[in-house]
Amino acid sequence: MKKIMHMLFLSCQKATELIEKKLYFRLSFKEKLQLKIHKLMCEACQRYEKQSELLDKGIANAFKNVKLDDSMDGLKRRIVKSLENKNK
Amino acid sequence: MKNEILENLVSQYTEELYNWAFHKTSSITMAEDLVQESFLAAAENINSFKGDSSAKTWMFSILNHKIIDFYRKKVNQPVRLESEILSTFFDKDGTWQREKRPKDWHEEETHLLDDIDFQIILKKCMDALPEKWSTCVKLKYLSEKKGEEICQEAGISTTNFWQIVHRAKIKLRDCVEDNWFKN
Repeated sequence: MKKIMHMLFLSCQKATELIEKKLYFRLSFKEKLQLKIHKLMCEACQRYEKQSELLDKGIANAFKNVKLDDSMDGLKRRIVKSLENKNK
Repeated sequence: MKNEILENLVSQYTEELYNWAFHKTSSITMAEDLVQESFLAAAENINSFKGDSSAKTWMFSILNHKIIDFYRKKVNQPVRLESEILSTFFDKDGTWQREKRPKDWHEEETHLLDDIDFQIILKKCMDALPEKWSTCVKLKYLSEKKGEEICQEAGISTTNFWQIVHRAKIKLRDCVEDNWFKN
């Protein structure tokens, strides 16, 4: 019975895989439908999806908040120096 | 003469090149190294620079090649795909293991995202992932591109890419939950 359910409406492993895939790629109609029904029956995967999306937002925010080191002079000096060394 | 041209390029374009490299790698050291390598490559090929394109375009094309190389090397580093990781989370039928089932986080989304402790835990858990995994997760935010393009650029197959992301996210979620509820 469980096997048949999984075949029709995905195992949790497969469902979470599609939840991640969905963030990057378009799902086929069949995949969308299977995922939808799986989530209706599975609270754990519902939570997983919500939390996964939240983590994505968190990661995106983390990147936005990185401060740039705006002093370029040190880098410029190092590059010029390495160019000079090369020509020696 | 040559050196003068190069030094001019360095003083004119370092900042823009650096900003771009940083945007793409989110690492200060990597960005600096990539910019430096680009200028070294430019020095080697200065004779082949015909002036068909502007110096800026030329420098950016060199840098972009370096950035792509950087990711290609990273992604191609041999890494066990660690399919065992999935078996710690799912039983052989692919159902959540009882103790690994996602718990209710009992928090509002915006509240969590603004919480500095939560941000720190997230960052720590990202750092704890194998490098290739976190690279794949990060690539998305760095390049503002669709999945297909990310894969092409990094030279990995589509399936491989989101399978890596899947494993990374499962582990990341688990790590965040563990640490968040411990405190």
